[in-house]
Amino acid sequence: MSADTALAAPRRHQSIDRRSFIGLLLVALPVFLVGWLIVFPIFSAVVGTIFVRGPDGATEFSLASYRFFFSDGYSLGNLWLTLWTTAVCGILLLAIGLPIALYLRFSQGRLAAYVQALAIFPMFVPSIILAYALIRTIGPNGTIDLLLNAAGLPKLRTPYLTPWGPVIGLVWDNLPLTVLMLTAGLSSVSNSAIEAARDVGAGPLRVFVSIILPRMGNSLLVTASFAVLGIFSAFTLPYVLGPASPEMMGPFMQRTFADMNDPLNAMTQAVITFALCLVFGIFYIRSIARNREARP
Amino acid sequence: MNRREFLITSSAAAGLLALPRFASAAAGTIDLYSGSDANIVDLWNNIIRPAFQKAHPEVALKVTDAGDNNGLRAIADRALAALKTKTDPQADLFEQFDPRLPAGGIDAGLWVKLSAENIEGYDHINPLAFDTSYSLPYRGSQVLLAYDTTKLDPKDAPKSWDQLTAWIKAHPGQFIYNRPDKGGSGSNFVRRAIHEVNGRDPKKFKVDNFTADYGAAALMPAWKILNDLAPSLYDKGAYTSGNTQSIQLLAQGVVTMVPVWSDQVLQAISQGVLPETTGLVQLGDLALCGGFSSITVFSNGANKDAALKLAAFMLTKDMQEAIITQIGGFPAISWDHISDDLRKKYADVIPSTIPTFPSGDWEKAINDGWYRNVAPGISRT
Repeated sequence: MSADTALAAPRRHQSIDRRSFIGLLLVALPVFLVGWLIVFPIFSAVVGTIFVRGPDGATEFSLASYRFFFSDGYSLGNLWLTLWTTAVCGILLLAIGLPIALYLRFSQGRLAAYVQALAIFPMFVPSIILAYALIRTIGPNGTIDLLLNAAGLPKLRTPYLTPWGPVIGLVWDNLPLTVLMLTAGLSSVSNSAIEAARDVGAGPLRVFVSIILPRMGNSLLVTASFAVLGIFSAFTLPYVLGPASPEMMGPFMQRTFADMNDPLNAMTQAVITFALCLVFGIFYIRSIARNREARP
Repeated sequence: MNRREFLITSSAAAGLLALPRFASAAAGTIDLYSGSDANIVDLWNNIIRPAFQKAHPEVALKVTDAGDNNGLRAIADRALAALKTKTDPQADLFEQFDPRLPAGGIDAGLWVKLSAENIEGYDHINPLAFDTSYSLPYRGSQVLLAYDTTKLDPKDAPKSWDQLTAWIKAHPGQFIYNRPDKGGSGSNFVRRAIHEVNGRDPKKFKVDNFTADYGAAALMPAWKILNDLAPSLYDKGAYTSGNTQSIQLLAQGVVTMVPVWSDQVLQAISQGVLPETTGLVQLGDLALCGGFSSITVFSNGANKDAALKLAAFMLTKDMQEAIITQIGGFPAISWDHISDDLRKKYADVIPSTIPTFPSGDWEKAINDGWYRNVAPGISRT
């Protein structure tokens, strides 16, 4: 061994150390922010709702706020409506998004580009603008009513101020992301696999069920988790388009916190909301992790 | 450390040092917070601010929309805490706030006591408008009923609560009001129902006389009345999410009558949002609540003197006339101090009395009580 290589070895080692140090430094800020702005508030909210400060200033263990939430018909009604809205929106999003994504994956040309542009368009409309636009179109005496009337058809019962109002708004608002994520997921289905299946005489349905769907499981799960997490905590659309009562958890929490000046119950509602969202968060993280492992 | 790393770290450090400076108010800038609707914030930004800065070029005015009354309460709480620690509350005055809040604020000396000594033009204020000596009334408005004269003849417009409820029941689906926590027009309709079951005596409700028992006794009968009305409202008991949405439903011809703020409805008619055929009526037995909006000035604000100048500026004839012409509000100074043309033009809407309802604990009890007792009565098919 010459003197040169003996000298070079520790130098290389040092530079790797420095690089990994900078790498750690780069991730330190986001990790710190997540810890400070997300993890710590979650723990403090959970602790704050369990260990309650009494009127005499002493802190004591109490589950009273949770007992209140789960025995209060009004709160449960709000939670139930939120779950219902989330489930209905999730199903509708997949039912509408999947055909669009399939079409975009397997067709080329100008029409497909227009469809894609149209599907992505809602992403650029802020939800408050969308809420007012929907009032004017699907609301009472709105555009749809006028068109029906002009065609001599009877009036439809408008979804405005009913639980279906926010559903329509939320589906429209979340559609672009759903379509984008499903299209990305579909790109993992190779053309040759489909052509091979067609060669042995598989029809479109057979191709979809046996070739496409098994390869889509992961992205369907990710898409559903994203949609659910967004819809569960939605605020603007349920607030403007939805009924006064029951209300979704977003407006309910805001009202309890600000109008009722009742941080304890608002925090309890937040912890319960978070616990439900956590389930979907875990689905998402597990599927991401599984994806990583599957990669060479 | 090489040059690039040095530049990054030093600029980050400089940025951190500069942070508190950005957060605190600049000297000579009055910080005004408003919890009112967009039309009022627009009035402040587009009319009052330029006029004030022309008259007083040495101070600037910054108008911040605090959202709603709860937003203002949070800032007031902060200012009270700042008063105790003798720090800058970073707020100088509120547009429309009840100085009885936060509790104990007046005793602690949070608000400037206003009088003819520190406010020029104080003696011009309409005697109807006075509330406390810690608030300076500067504009008035009242909740009225707006209706479509093509569907309801002005002769038949309801003039009393009984006529109104009878009309609502006789015309199902033609009336709607907004959720009481989302705007004054709906909340004052709810408050009118509360007045109705309590002998139509606004004096029974004070900001500090709320107790759970009194609240239950005073509010329960009102919930019964409103529940009874619910099936006759638009969509068998739907409630809009704000003042604007109610006006919108009236404009689209969906409903025939809604409660509205006088200033918002006059503005909507003048801008063509509502047609010229919109009729306005006030109940004769006891008017729907309304009131004068008042400015409150923080005693510990950094720009207290400039804030007092601004408060006095609002009582000048020009600004008071702007309130009438720009937003259709009532002036806070007596009509004698308004020019003759305007006085004649608005003779019909000059109020002789405006009932009010206190906020504070009553507001919480009414809002939550309404959501729990009235709103769930919706029959959804």
